[in-house]
Amino acid sequence: MSEKSKISYPLFESFKDKLKPKRSQAQMALSQVNIFGRLSWQEIKIVESAVHIRTFAPNEAIFRQGDPGSGMYIIIEGRVGIFLDIPLQGPKKLSELGEGDFFGEIALLDESPRTASATALESCTIIGFYRPDLMDILKIKPAIGGKIILSLSEVLATRLRFTNSELVKVSHQLEEMIETQDHE
Amino acid sequence: MSSRDPVQIAPQSVRLFHQSLLKTLIYFFSLIVILAAAYKALPLVMDALFLLVIASILTAILNPLVDRLESSGIKRIWGALMVFGGIFALLGTGIVRGIPTLLTEISRIKDMIQQQSATDSLNSMITDINLKIAQYVPSFKLDTETLSNLSSQFFGQLGSILASALDTLTTIVFILIITMFFLVDGARMMKGLIGMVPNRYFEMSLNISYKTKKQLTNFLRGQLLAALGVGIQSIIGLSLLNWIFDANISGVFLIGSIAGMANMIPFIGPFMGMAPAIVVSLFNNLGDPVAASNFYYIFHIIGMFFIVQMIDNNVISPIVVSGSMEMHPLTVILLILIGSQLGVLGMFLAVPAWGISKVIVHEVYQGLKGHHLI
Repeated sequence: MSEKSKISYPLFESFKDKLKPKRSQAQMALSQVNIFGRLSWQEIKIVESAVHIRTFAPNEAIFRQGDPGSGMYIIIEGRVGIFLDIPLQGPKKLSELGEGDFFGEIALLDESPRTASATALESCTIIGFYRPDLMDILKIKPAIGGKIILSLSEVLATRLRFTNSELVKVSHQLEEMIETQDHE
Repeated sequence: MSSRDPVQIAPQSVRLFHQSLLKTLIYFFSLIVILAAAYKALPLVMDALFLLVIASILTAILNPLVDRLESSGIKRIWGALMVFGGIFALLGTGIVRGIPTLLTEISRIKDMIQQQSATDSLNSMITDINLKIAQYVPSFKLDTETLSNLSSQFFGQLGSILASALDTLTTIVFILIITMFFLVDGARMMKGLIGMVPNRYFEMSLNISYKTKKQLTNFLRGQLLAALGVGIQSIIGLSLLNWIFDANISGVFLIGSIAGMANMIPFIGPFMGMAPAIVVSLFNNLGDPVAASNFYYIFHIIGMFFIVQMIDNNVISPIVVSGSMEMHPLTVILLILIGSQLGVLGMFLAVPAWGISKVIVHEVYQGLKGHHLI
């Protein structure tokens, strides 16, 4: 790099900084979630006005297994543990999620009970995006709601394809096992 | 441990017991203080609370319209202003053109009822009706004084309601301003309120508030549409009676509006809508032999309202009114009796108010049950 290019122009830099769009932490977190991937910054700003930013103390439950599901969570700060409550054995840790991770997005579509519990492992700031918020967006800003639903459908389609391929693999393995047993 | 020693309690358990007792006592006294403060402050905030409740109901009715305008790309504030412009235009037309006509009509009927000559003609008409009906129902007896008092009271009260409605213009303006704020900023206010709920109850509160709002909007919209349907049908029906049978029923729009509003009260409402039409027909046709031979068109009016009810119950209500209004007739009668303590307006509002409360209690109960809190 030449010496010339290293020269900074404070006035120009400050002007450039001022022109840079200011994004909130919540907007940045939302933009990283795949179901908001199709949205422009302007649209993300509208979603931001609909979501709820909540803080959780260490070991505080975000939701409990069996509760009716009502929305998804995006972690802005902190770590969250996903636990499966096994009768007579107590909770079993399934995974640990951190900044930028999200969970519970399927609850945006139906109210079926949560299959696991989520607990804050440390002090957390989390975005909650719930079905009522999605419904309001669909009613008032149908174009944005449509994009979110489309992305959500893509997530489901990908998972369904993955589950199907896994099922095919398992059934092949099962057939092979049965054939081997028959030969023996 | 020897047998003489007293029972030992672990010090930690004692501490926990004391802490828990202290906590319970603090909660208990706080609750008493809050309840006493609420009891003392209630009369002071009652008026404001009334305005807020009416504004909330208006918001629930108008919100879908503003939402629709916003979804078509119009800014929310402009949408709300457009809806308000429409309301003011309607109210203005109603006040300038409708109210004086209605008041004239009411005072004309009231005068006619109180006139001695009219009462004399009424005597002969009632004797005629009593004689004719006694053939089928021997115990039936219609009394002039009762009929006159009832009619005078009914129209007198109606007049006073309209007059007081004009007097409380300030209240209406306040309600409209609050409604405007709720329409434009209601979602943000609600978000702020729900944001104060602790994490444990947050999801549940959000769901309950959303479902209650949805149910309430559907319920109010359904009730209003059904009332509008019955009102329009009654106006058409009464106009047809005037046109085909020359029934001479005046104040068709007023009677239609009463029938529409009364329809919000199940079982009793249709009769309340029918009564003014019968009274007007009786007084307008006094001394008319053709009308007398047709029982002063009472059966025509009953038949017409019966058809309106048939259409409402089988076509309109199933489409527009949600099932939340299903009530036992005894509940309705009790509610109307309780509402009557607050006058005619109380009778009108008792059943819809019960319907709204039912929706809220149902949603809260379902929410609490779903989250295993009860």
